[in-house]
Amino acid sequence: MPPAITADRLSKTFQVKVRDPGLKGALLALVRPRYRDVHAVREVSFAIDAGEIVAFLGPNGAGKTTTLKMLAGLLFPTGGRVEVVGFRPWSGGPEFKRRIALVLGNRQQLVWDLPPEETFQLNRAIYGIAAADYRERLAELVALLELDDLLQKPVRQLSLGERMKCELTAALLHRPSILFLDEPTLGLDVTAQEAIRRFLAEYRDRHGATVLLTSHYMQDVTALASRVLIINRGRLLYDGALAALVARIARTKRIELVLADGVTAEALAAFGAVKSFRFPNAVLEVPREQAAATSARLLAALPVADLSIEDPPIEEVIRLAFAQGVEEGE
Amino acid sequence: MIRQYAALLRNAWLVDLQYRASIVLWLLWGVTEPAVALGIWWAIAGDGQIAGYARADFARYFFALMLVNQLTIAWDSWYLDGWIREGELNFRLARPLHPAHEAVAENIAYKARTASVILVVWLLTSLVWPAVRLPFAPARWALTALAVLLAAAMRFFISFTTGLFAFWTTRASAIMELHAGVSLFLSGRLAPLALLPPAVAGVAAVLWFPYMLAFPVELLTGAAQGAAVAHGFAGQLVWLGVWVAAYRFTWTRGLRRYGAVGG
Repeated sequence: MPPAITADRLSKTFQVKVRDPGLKGALLALVRPRYRDVHAVREVSFAIDAGEIVAFLGPNGAGKTTTLKMLAGLLFPTGGRVEVVGFRPWSGGPEFKRRIALVLGNRQQLVWDLPPEETFQLNRAIYGIAAADYRERLAELVALLELDDLLQKPVRQLSLGERMKCELTAALLHRPSILFLDEPTLGLDVTAQEAIRRFLAEYRDRHGATVLLTSHYMQDVTALASRVLIINRGRLLYDGALAALVARIARTKRIELVLADGVTAEALAAFGAVKSFRFPNAVLEVPREQAAATSARLLAALPVADLSIEDPPIEEVIRLAFAQGVEEGE
Repeated sequence: MIRQYAALLRNAWLVDLQYRASIVLWLLWGVTEPAVALGIWWAIAGDGQIAGYARADFARYFFALMLVNQLTIAWDSWYLDGWIREGELNFRLARPLHPAHEAVAENIAYKARTASVILVVWLLTSLVWPAVRLPFAPARWALTALAVLLAAAMRFFISFTTGLFAFWTTRASAIMELHAGVSLFLSGRLAPLALLPPAVAGVAAVLWFPYMLAFPVELLTGAAQGAAVAHGFAGQLVWLGVWVAAYRFTWTRGLRRYGAVGG
């Protein structure tokens, strides 16, 4: 089966007006406007199979959302080729749009003054969903997202988390096979974030949908995505499994210890780099390949109540990835 | 498409219901301007005539103007400007329905509601004030309906197209303000075009402004007769064609430029 999404040297360059500060700058910009090219996405290539959940990672302005919007057909690519479920997104027209859903965490499609069900009904008409299908799908989404009490309340009275659940419902009624989610958990509390994550995983399992998401929350990524695309300054730095990235980037492991009496930071320093020490808890960092041996030595030499070996926090791995600039296939 | 429009209209009406007070205010604004203009011309005309307009002619003109203006007015540029600059266009572009349809449905919902109020007010006023009565002329009313439809379409495309300027500039609504300001004089909102100084009337005659308001109004009051009617419809069709072409050009070019705000 061909991939659901293919991007081949996909690029987007924006022309941005530059002007010097002050009145003189403003006048000059009026008379003789100057433009600067901003390369938001540079020759990014990847292929995503149907049913995959893939996360875009990168700092603000890295080009994640721009890529997502090119895949969804909102932005016209400056260069390269992109294909989503057999369509060129830009010229895919209504047929293409019926196959995808785009959810933007910071923009909503729900009609602000009306209960969410009115937006659902509108989408039923826009996407031409048969009445029986609509009832069945709505019932499924209501059950999965626990929306029962929300359908009749005006959107403006819903909490942020409740609104996002309704946004997802509105976006999924036409049962798209491709989901583009831009920061779907932005600003939500932990419980709501978890509910959204559980739902997305369940939706994918039930309907085999392909999910592409951007998120600032590592929890979203670790809980959902089997694969990450790391993008920085418009370039793809890494494409692969999260675990493989950790193994490649993180040359160290963390040994987390709970100590019994009489152990000092100095005593620990003989075994590795002491990252933190607050009795009885301590964290040591040791080279990856020595983690097991060091643990054995620690257990033999010191009064240790508990010990566990962990990868460094994923945020740190990502930070390292940006700092070191992991190249794809390196 | 019919089902989509039914759903869009339903939502537009439901939203309007939430904003009854603001609709009344807009309606009052739409009525105040011609009422003030009528008051001024009524006083100036006295018992005589100005360019063929006596008091009763002014009364009919401005009542017709109230109705036609309400039926043809378009404020889509303000919406579009916001959609584009604040990224609200994104989800609209991701749906299998052109965003203009939502705007058209909102136009229909708003106009149906407000214009029917004006029509009732006009009918009630005509019971007590003979000056605003129109002669019974169903054929002329049918022609007016067509002219109003063409004018509404033209004003919609003008508004939508100027709104699309937001793809290039943050001052799209200023351009629309400028257009509204010029149209105040050239479309017949402040005075019938017959009263304009010849130089200004000459400028108006080669632009689209008279066809967006003055022509359907004069058709309704009976001021436009014979060749003027044919000329008016021809002008409407030509300028509608020009603005549809301008819209298509702007939409295609603008979308390619679109930065899809928010990331």
